[in-house]
Amino acid sequence: MSEQEIREGMLLAVWDEPPLDFDPDTLIRRVEQKKSRRRALVAVGVATAVIAVASLALPGLLPRDRDSQLGADTPASSSAPPSVSVEKKAQRAGDQLAAKLGVTMTNLTDIAGSFNPGRLTYPPFTTSTPARAPGDPEFSGYLYLTDQIGPTSLRVEAGVKGLSTKDFCGGATMCKDVQQKDGSVVTEAEFNEGTPEIARAEVQRVFQSGYVVRISSHNYNPATSAGLRQTVPVRVGVLTELVTDPAVAWQ
Amino acid sequence: MRKADEQGFREFAAANAASLRRTAYLFCGDWHTAEDLMQSSLMKMYVAWKRIKDLDNLIAYARKVLLRTWLDEKRRPWRRAEQRDGELPDAADATVDPDTTSAKLWARELVHTALLQVPPRQRAVLVLRYFEDLSVAEVAVAMGCTEGTVKSQTARGLATLRTIVEKLDNSSGRVAS
Repeated sequence: MSEQEIREGMLLAVWDEPPLDFDPDTLIRRVEQKKSRRRALVAVGVATAVIAVASLALPGLLPRDRDSQLGADTPASSSAPPSVSVEKKAQRAGDQLAAKLGVTMTNLTDIAGSFNPGRLTYPPFTTSTPARAPGDPEFSGYLYLTDQIGPTSLRVEAGVKGLSTKDFCGGATMCKDVQQKDGSVVTEAEFNEGTPEIARAEVQRVFQSGYVVRISSHNYNPATSAGLRQTVPVRVGVLTELVTDPAVAWQ
Repeated sequence: MRKADEQGFREFAAANAASLRRTAYLFCGDWHTAEDLMQSSLMKMYVAWKRIKDLDNLIAYARKVLLRTWLDEKRRPWRRAEQRDGELPDAADATVDPDTTSAKLWARELVHTALLQVPPRQRAVLVLRYFEDLSVAEVAVAMGCTEGTVKSQTARGLATLRTIVEKLDNSSGRVAS
């Protein structure tokens, strides 16, 4: 088979070529459609990537402290010194109170503080700390402990607003004020509340600035409203030691 | 794209679509696939038209794109080749000359059976050399290889084609020239 035969054979092979129905405009339209589809796909991909990156990056860029959020309910004072956030302050106070209580009452175990900004939470009715209102204490929470009877807790509240010192001793079987060297006043009170033994022991310290700290011990676990017992697990003497502990920076 | 460029592409496509489809048919052996290959090649050229419109030999570039498109198509692992095992009913055509018909049928056989058995790159060289009448240098440009490779591929392709045609002729009783 010669090269010429191959050449002729190839030419003959296309002799029954079907008619060509080709329109350049249709082809151009198809290309333009393809291009716009590709552009849309790229745009969607880029938008998805931007949203994904933003969702990951924004939480890190935004301020984490509640007090530094825009529109926070505590007005920023230009004269106020910069201080640690309320959450950190509450956490430190809890750690220091737990340490102090452990040293003072060696029979207690599993001592731990759990304080949060705002008013107290009362389980099991609420599961999270509610939003802070203007009249709420700065922070509050429970100092958990376990004695020979079982687990219970002390209630702690600290702040300027919302802690009325009026009628603190109302109904108390014992109530006395103790003047402190720094000018603050510690008030100790015990309440029987109709029972033969002390049902509630409460101590409050009022600073000259108006800042109030209150720690109370109950004949039940205030964190769970359960665990009823005959008397309080911690008496006013120990509560006074806690509230006057110089290691705790209340203000 | 500007209107003038678009018009230039339109004219080029209309003038060369048929010739590109014929070449594609000799590559793949099927008119439908050939039309797809031709359209895909022209679409690729349209996308790059701004860049290529001023080339000296646009049709050579188009052949190169067509060849690449076909080789790419063959390389695709998911490509499903059409199975041609169906029998078409014979129908008499009164307008054809019986003397020339046998030659044409043999030529079709050459493409459908013999040429399609030649390896793709050798087949491409044979089509470009003997159907498109390109020189060795032009085929080397179209295939993106050296002239030496074109020559060796041509020799191998011819040898393979002759062997297959010989077998076909022996089986059909026709004497190979």
